[in-house]
Amino acid sequence: MNQRSRHEWRSLAIVIGLLAVLPLLTKNVNVHHVIVMFFIYASLGEAWNMITGLAGQTSFGHASFFGIGAYAAAVAFYRFGASPWIGMVIGALAAAAVGAIVSYPMFRLRGHYFAVATLAVSEIVFQLFVSWRWVEGATGISVPVAREGLWTLQFHSSKLPYCYLALAGFVAAAAAFHWLANSRIGFYLRAIKDSEEAAMAIGINPAKYKLLAMVSSASLTAIFGSIYTQYILYIDPFMVFSMHVSIKIVLLTVLGGLGSVWGPVFGAAVLIPLSEYTRVLFGGTGRGIDLILFGVLIVMVACFQPQGIVGILRSRGRSGKGGQTRDAKAAA
Amino acid sequence: MRRSVLALVVSFTLVGLMFIGNVALAQPVVKIGAIFPLTGASAATGVKLKYAVEVAEEIINGLHPDIDVPLARTSGLPKLSGARVQFVFADHQGNPEIAKSEAERLIQNEKVVALIGCYQSSATKPASAVAERYGVPFIAGSSSSAALTERGLKWFMRIAPNDDMETKFFFDYLKFLNQNYNAGIKRVGVVFIDNEYGVHAAEMVDKWIETYKKDGFELAARIKYPTTVSNVDTEVQRVKAARLDAIFHASYIADITQFVKGYRAYDVTPKAVLNYCGGFQDPKFLENLGRDANYFSGSNAIASSLFAKMEVAKRINDLYKPKAGVDIDGPTIEDFSSALVMADAINEAGSTDPARVLEVLKTKTFYAPYFVSGKVKFDDKGQNEYSASVMVQVLNGVYEAVWPVEFKTAEPVPAFPPWRSR
Repeated sequence: MNQRSRHEWRSLAIVIGLLAVLPLLTKNVNVHHVIVMFFIYASLGEAWNMITGLAGQTSFGHASFFGIGAYAAAVAFYRFGASPWIGMVIGALAAAAVGAIVSYPMFRLRGHYFAVATLAVSEIVFQLFVSWRWVEGATGISVPVAREGLWTLQFHSSKLPYCYLALAGFVAAAAAFHWLANSRIGFYLRAIKDSEEAAMAIGINPAKYKLLAMVSSASLTAIFGSIYTQYILYIDPFMVFSMHVSIKIVLLTVLGGLGSVWGPVFGAAVLIPLSEYTRVLFGGTGRGIDLILFGVLIVMVACFQPQGIVGILRSRGRSGKGGQTRDAKAAA
Repeated sequence: MRRSVLALVVSFTLVGLMFIGNVALAQPVVKIGAIFPLTGASAATGVKLKYAVEVAEEIINGLHPDIDVPLARTSGLPKLSGARVQFVFADHQGNPEIAKSEAERLIQNEKVVALIGCYQSSATKPASAVAERYGVPFIAGSSSSAALTERGLKWFMRIAPNDDMETKFFFDYLKFLNQNYNAGIKRVGVVFIDNEYGVHAAEMVDKWIETYKKDGFELAARIKYPTTVSNVDTEVQRVKAARLDAIFHASYIADITQFVKGYRAYDVTPKAVLNYCGGFQDPKFLENLGRDANYFSGSNAIASSLFAKMEVAKRINDLYKPKAGVDIDGPTIEDFSSALVMADAINEAGSTDPARVLEVLKTKTFYAPYFVSGKVKFDDKGQNEYSASVMVQVLNGVYEAVWPVEFKTAEPVPAFPPWRSR
């Protein structure tokens, strides 16, 4: 483990420690909700970063993996009374399989074409679930309320357990991304992102490693779909397969900074509270001010800082250190 | 001397004003949460529902002796020392996840004592589950999915007739047309949007057709269309091919507008088109389609033509129309009712204690002269027993009440005239 990696692990540990204290500072249920959603979306950003941030394959279809995970947990419990943990595992495997089957042929496509193809696949999966009677089609599934506990992943008296469940998931997702990004495979993926031809020339098999990144990303996304289901206790295809979910994942990761373990954390820390609190403050007026504010922020970031929040912090770090970045130092 | 007297008077006046101000500030407020789709695809309807609830708030808190509804003649809630009612609005954006979190926020942070909403059944489901968990009464005004009142919830009630009741109402109306106008309606089809609202409506047709087969009806087509539909040509051609005498439509305003244009373009002339509570009831239907809107029918809690017969509904509309710019419609008056009934129950309970409010909601028959049934009473499942519907048909660009006969404002036209002869 090099010095930079050690430094990042330490920073991650400190931030996670601080985040663990956060839910204890308030009993406000709305704040707890924001914290749960923050952890879930930050984790989804980490998962998406695996395929897009590292491998450079822009996916606009991650809602399909999220939805598969959500439905797996819901159906396992609703149809068979099985623990959502079982549903979660099945969902992760199913999402990995779908990710592999669908994306392998699509990896021939480059840039915008790949992005559009993922969008199309997501729409197909959405339509399938809307029409599938066994999973209650368009009417969705109300997850039966069960005795609270880790086995059922239902907690009714407080949201704190959900906060820590989502935090645990986030720790796993961030660690998985960090490990992948700093492993040999991570460097292969970055090489593929920079130039597939050059990567092939030095003996890297792009198809194999992109597939590996997609499978990891899809299964991780599905796991958070399952957690989401147990948190909301009601899902329908419009909630979990909609483009809105995919776009939110893309937005927060791009806003935070692509390809960095911190990107989704910063992005979710800005976007999730912003969307929640602007809605709380202005949503009741019925004038859409919350959505306008949200949109303005995205436009500003896109125009003035396409590298995201991580990019802003790095450029500050550069100017504060006589133009030499930590990355440059680490590389040296 | 004069100056000191003047100073004394001014001081007393100021202290007096402060006291009055404090009394006004100290006046208790009862908060009720109102969750609607105020942005997103259903925002146009959601904002109208908000206006209707604001009218209810105005009637409850102000003095309106000319309106014969509960709490209009007094200011605030008389049995709670004149406490004012404040509806705290929240926007669920058509998203069930947000509906759930807003319900939690309203209960926990805003300390609302009851909830109303959420228009879309898919949003009402999780929001009412939250109310159930916290033991807070929840009245849905216009959510029509029958499944909502089949969940065995203790704290949930619904004003609108559900799609189960509406389907039976439709078949009874068709029987009425056959018996009294010799309409000859046999082949029935259902055209429905592929979401909770549409799918449930279609399931109710599947259920009730079994009962009405003996009356000569048969289900000849089941045509589903996607929520994101932008062209309904295929669906319209399927309707034409099925040679339907009557079509049951579960559609929102954008879709039903497309279908009517399609029926005209492909010269589809069924005898009757009956619409579930949805797009047809929106006055935009008349605005968008002009003369093409004529002869379409549907169940509705109110129609502007009924204002002449129902003085109370007219008075409510007089307060509503300046805000919304259109006459009050069915779903809107149902959500107005949910606000008024909830406030009435809290007042009757003389307390905001949820158990006492629930007790009133479960036992009282509420006076509701703005509905044709005139009353609201919740059954064991929380469903309003008195169907607040009349069959309306658009005739000469006006929603006319055509059935039941006691509320009739015009004779029904039992069969569509050909498009070219209009």
